[in-house]
Amino acid sequence: MARTSVVKRTNSFYWLLLTPSLLFLTAFLVVPFIMLIVLSFREVDSLLNVLPTYSLSHYTEVFTSGIYLNTIQSSLGVALLTTVICTLLAYPAAYLLVRTERPALRTLFYILLISPLLTSVVIRTFAWIVILAQNGLLNELLMNLHLIDKPLSMLWSMNAVVIAYVQVMLPFAVLPIATSMGEIQPKLRQASMSLGAGRVRTFFTVTLPLTLPGMLSGAAIVFSLAAGSYITPLLVGGRLQPLLPLAIYQQAVQVFNMPFAAALSVTLLIMVILVVLLLGWISKRWEARLRD
Amino acid sequence: MTDSNKRLPNGSDPKPKSGRRRVRRKWSLLTTLVWTAGIGVYLFLVAPMFVIFLSAFSPTEYPTFPPSSVSFRWFTALFTNSDWGEALRVSLILLLIVTPLTVILGTAAAYALGRLKFRGREAIRSFMLSPLMIPQVVLGIALLYEFTSLGLINTLTSLVIGHMVIAFPFVVRTVSVSVSSLDPKLESASMSLGAGRWTTFRKITLPLIKPGIIAGTVFSVVESFGEVSISLFVSSPGNITVPVRIFNYIDQTFDPSVNAISVLFIAVAVVAMIIIDRAVGLTKVL
Repeated sequence: MARTSVVKRTNSFYWLLLTPSLLFLTAFLVVPFIMLIVLSFREVDSLLNVLPTYSLSHYTEVFTSGIYLNTIQSSLGVALLTTVICTLLAYPAAYLLVRTERPALRTLFYILLISPLLTSVVIRTFAWIVILAQNGLLNELLMNLHLIDKPLSMLWSMNAVVIAYVQVMLPFAVLPIATSMGEIQPKLRQASMSLGAGRVRTFFTVTLPLTLPGMLSGAAIVFSLAAGSYITPLLVGGRLQPLLPLAIYQQAVQVFNMPFAAALSVTLLIMVILVVLLLGWISKRWEARLRD
Repeated sequence: MTDSNKRLPNGSDPKPKSGRRRVRRKWSLLTTLVWTAGIGVYLFLVAPMFVIFLSAFSPTEYPTFPPSSVSFRWFTALFTNSDWGEALRVSLILLLIVTPLTVILGTAAAYALGRLKFRGREAIRSFMLSPLMIPQVVLGIALLYEFTSLGLINTLTSLVIGHMVIAFPFVVRTVSVSVSSLDPKLESASMSLGAGRWTTFRKITLPLIKPGIIAGTVFSVVESFGEVSISLFVSSPGNITVPVRIFNYIDQTFDPSVNAISVLFIAVAVVAMIIIDRAVGLTKVL
């Protein structure tokens, strides 16, 4: 009897600590999203004033106009490409991080991995402009090496966006893979190899299946970041790239058609949530299969 | 069957070393390949930082490699242009308001989540970490619309709230790690010895989760100082932070003094890494 009352009192203490955060996030995360969803159904007049009437007109425009369907498609494509490249590059990087025996080297790898996370995205994007510009570092290097005669135009393209995205988001893919790689017992790989499997086969039959959940959780983060960033594509790809975040930014900041920007935002949000849920579902199914 | 038959005599072979050596040679070629790829990836990660450094001290507008000489002209441009001083002032004021609020909110939430046991606890944790995954352009638009409706737009408050939403999950994540490694028995021991809830929290809990709080503080500072996606939507001409100013400079003109201010951000990242390493160790932070 006395014990339950202590537990109750302790629990109310914890709830007291949790409540301010819940209120804060409700006010500035839940409420703004509800307002955004409501806004996306509001009609606008020809001067883009928001009217008190509701309709699906913005969504019909998004899903019937060729421009926006194309934008959705290429946004998905760029985010998927970034995710795939990040995942492929993450494996060797995670391998080095986990397998190196020298602590100093491991610390160095961690520094290289974490430092991009601690540097503002404008700075990292700016660096890619300096590297990829017409009179930038890479062109100059290639010209000095006499590999090219005239500068290549690499900036203001979707390729530049993907390159910058991969560099910005790679750490998010490496860290979860490294974590799950570090948890694999060395015995498992040794067993596989002592049974005659080569290293490559061991990777595909032991390491890859066991790191798949880590890989998928990294992929979910990379995908949602790549699908939702607008700073990097704006600066490296240019305003005209057919990407949803850029379209949203333009509608809100330049066209001032807020309801339409809201409809595009809700579309993007649903797209990201669907992909993240799908990856989470695959990961759960896979882990259940591993346990059997 | 034939496979095992073949291997058995091989295993009892008096010279198993030759076989092992052959395997190892096959290894080293693969190892070289994987290491080359891995080191390539790390170089790719650090290349932009290196370029920023090169550009900041370059005498020409576009940096050359190898650098021809060292110049500090972009740094002097930084001090003569009052835009940067004003932006730095706004960024620092924001840090002073955002950091303590976010760290207190996030620490309390992470601690409570670590101790409370109820269904839906994981759902609340995911909800609290969700600003990490939500497309930033959507969050920016949503906050812009809310602040406009509340009449908060063009105020510092809108920036404070925006930065707090972004920095909050980082604090929750780092403090949660410390809380999960803290034995609740230490707290019950303190309380059974007569200390109250708050005394126990101050004297036992806080000192033990301090490493996580320090790391969370560093992340909060770094995220707030570098935040641009939300700030660009909710900042007004009177309240322009350093990253937003940098964005405008890159977007509109090519101003090499951006290089110099970028070095400041790299310095902040280096200091942040040193503090995180001292507090919790770099390898345990994420």
